[in-house]
Amino acid sequence: MVEEKKDFEGKFIDKINLAYSELELRSRQWQEFSKKVKLSKTSWLLPGISSPLNITYTLPPRPSSYTVLASDGSQIFPDRHEALPCYLINIGSVILHYGTDGKAHLRSYPKFFYGDEDRLTTWDGRMIPADSEVISEKRTLMEFEEILRLLEDCENKDNTLALCDGTLIFWRLEGTPSDFKGEIMNSFINVLDKLKTLRVPIAGYISYPGSIDIINALRVGLCPEEISYCSQCPYTELPELPCSPIQGVTDRMLFSKVLEPGERSSLFESSSKILELYGEHRISFFYLNVGEEISRVEIPKWVAQDNDLLNLVHTLIFDQAKKGNGYPTALIEAHEQAVVKAKDRDFFYELVKEALVRSDFKVTLSRKGLSKRSPGV
Amino acid sequence: MNRVGEVVESSTKVFIARSQNLGESPYFGYFVKTNSNPVVYGLVYEILTESKEPGRKPNAYGMTMDELRREQPHIFELLKTEFHVLITAYSDGEKIRFSLPPLPPPIHTFIYECSNNEVEKLTSEDFFLRTIISSTNIPIDELLISSLRYAQDARKNDKDYIVRMGKSLARIFKDDYERLSSVLRRVV
Repeated sequence: MVEEKKDFEGKFIDKINLAYSELELRSRQWQEFSKKVKLSKTSWLLPGISSPLNITYTLPPRPSSYTVLASDGSQIFPDRHEALPCYLINIGSVILHYGTDGKAHLRSYPKFFYGDEDRLTTWDGRMIPADSEVISEKRTLMEFEEILRLLEDCENKDNTLALCDGTLIFWRLEGTPSDFKGEIMNSFINVLDKLKTLRVPIAGYISYPGSIDIINALRVGLCPEEISYCSQCPYTELPELPCSPIQGVTDRMLFSKVLEPGERSSLFESSSKILELYGEHRISFFYLNVGEEISRVEIPKWVAQDNDLLNLVHTLIFDQAKKGNGYPTALIEAHEQAVVKAKDRDFFYELVKEALVRSDFKVTLSRKGLSKRSPGV
Repeated sequence: MNRVGEVVESSTKVFIARSQNLGESPYFGYFVKTNSNPVVYGLVYEILTESKEPGRKPNAYGMTMDELRREQPHIFELLKTEFHVLITAYSDGEKIRFSLPPLPPPIHTFIYECSNNEVEKLTSEDFFLRTIISSTNIPIDELLISSLRYAQDARKNDKDYIVRMGKSLARIFKDDYERLSSVLRRVV
C-alpha cells in the first residue's frame, strides 16, 4: 500500500510540474489563451482571464489599525422523530478592532423557527416544509445579513473587512425553482449593494480549496484544437486525451509552486451560471499563500476593480491567517460562536418538550425517537 | 460601593463569583458580601483566570499585554476570572450570625467588598478562624494568615486584638505548636 502511495505521489509531482510549465507557457501568450478559453465549450467551469496567469503580487503593507467583521452559522435541522416540527439557526459573529483601540465583540443569535410562516417555504409555486437544503441556504443568507447588522455597530468603517467562511457563490441555488432562488438572491444582492455603498469590501475565504478553475483552463490549453468543443472531441479514440495529463491536479497544488508566503495570484473571474444573477457583484477570485497553505479568496467585482480595497483584502486576510495559525482568527471565533454541538441539540429538544409539557400539550415522540433516548441492553 | 463580581455557582458552604473585569478580583483572604437577602459574608480563598470554554486552552503568544490588546484583542473576551468564597456568616437583618445561611446566595447575586467597619464586626470573635480550620480543600493556614492581617488592618493594627486571636488559635491548634508558630509569625 505504502509503495503504491509513493508511486502515486511520484506521478502526481510530475503532473503538478507539467501544470506549472503550462501555466508559464500560457502566461506568455495570455491574451490568445484567454480568447481560446472564452470561446471553448467544455463541461467544466472555465475562469475569465484578464492578465498573465503566473503574476504574483507581494503583500501590501498592513494598516496599523483595522476592523474585521465575520459571521458563521449552524443549525438544528427538523427531526420528525422529535416532539415538534421546528428548527433552529444560530448565527455567530465577531467584530475585531485591531490597533490602538483594540477590542472585540463576540456574540451569537439563535433563531427558533416553529410557526407555519417560518417552517414553510415557497418552492415552485407551492408551500413546502423547509428541508435541510432550504435551511442551509436560509442560514447562509442570514450569515450575510448579520454582516450588515455588525456594520451598524461600527462607527468608523475605514480599513474594515467583512469576511465570510466559504464561497460567495450560491452555486447550490442553480438547481432550485426560480421563486426560491429569487427570494434568496434578492436579499443577498441587497446585502452586497449596501456593502458597496459603504465601500466595505467583503471576501469569502476558502481554506484548502479543491477548486480546479485554472487547471481546467490549462487543460483547454493542452487541447490541440484551435477552439475546444468537448462534446465533439476528436481524440476520444486515443488511449489518453491530450487534456488529461494534468487531470487530478488542483489549483491549490499548482499555486503552491507559484506563490511565496504573503503573495497572491492574479485575479480570475468565476463563470458559475448563478453569477448571471449577480449583476455588478460578479465574483472574482485569487489564490493566496497564507504561509501554512494556499487559500482561495472570493470577492465581488467592485472590490476586484478597486486597487485600494483589493490590497486591503489581501493584507488583512494574510494578517488574520497569521494571527490564527493559518486560518483567519475572525472566522475561527465566528465559528466558535455559531457552532451547535450534539449535546446542544439534545438540550434544545429537551427545552421544546418541557415548554410543551408546561403548557399541558401532549408530547408524542416516535418509538424510534424514544429508543434513542433510552436504549436497552 | 464597587461591585466586584456576580455569583455563578452557589452551594451551602461556598460560592463562586465571576469577576467584573478580567484579571481583577477581591484579594485572597479578603471579606466580601452579597447584596441578597439575607446578606451572606465570606472569605475569598481561590482566584482563577482561565478560558471560558472548557475545551480551549490559552496560547502563549510571546507578546506584552499592550501588544496583545492591539493584535489579539479577542482573547480577552474568551477568558474569565472567578473567585471562590468560603461562607463565614450572614445577616438576618438585625445582627450578624456566625453560621451558615438558611439558603446559599442566589445565582447572579452581585458581590461587594466589605468595608473596614464590616470586617471589624465579622472578625470580632474567633468564629471565622474556626470556620477556616474546619474547612476542606482550601489553603487553611494561608487563609488564616491573610484574613487575620486584613482583620488587623481594619483595626489599625490593634495589638490586643492579635494577641486575643493568637490565644484562640493556640486553643484551636492545641499541641501543634509548630503550626501555630508558623501562622503567627507570618501574621505579624
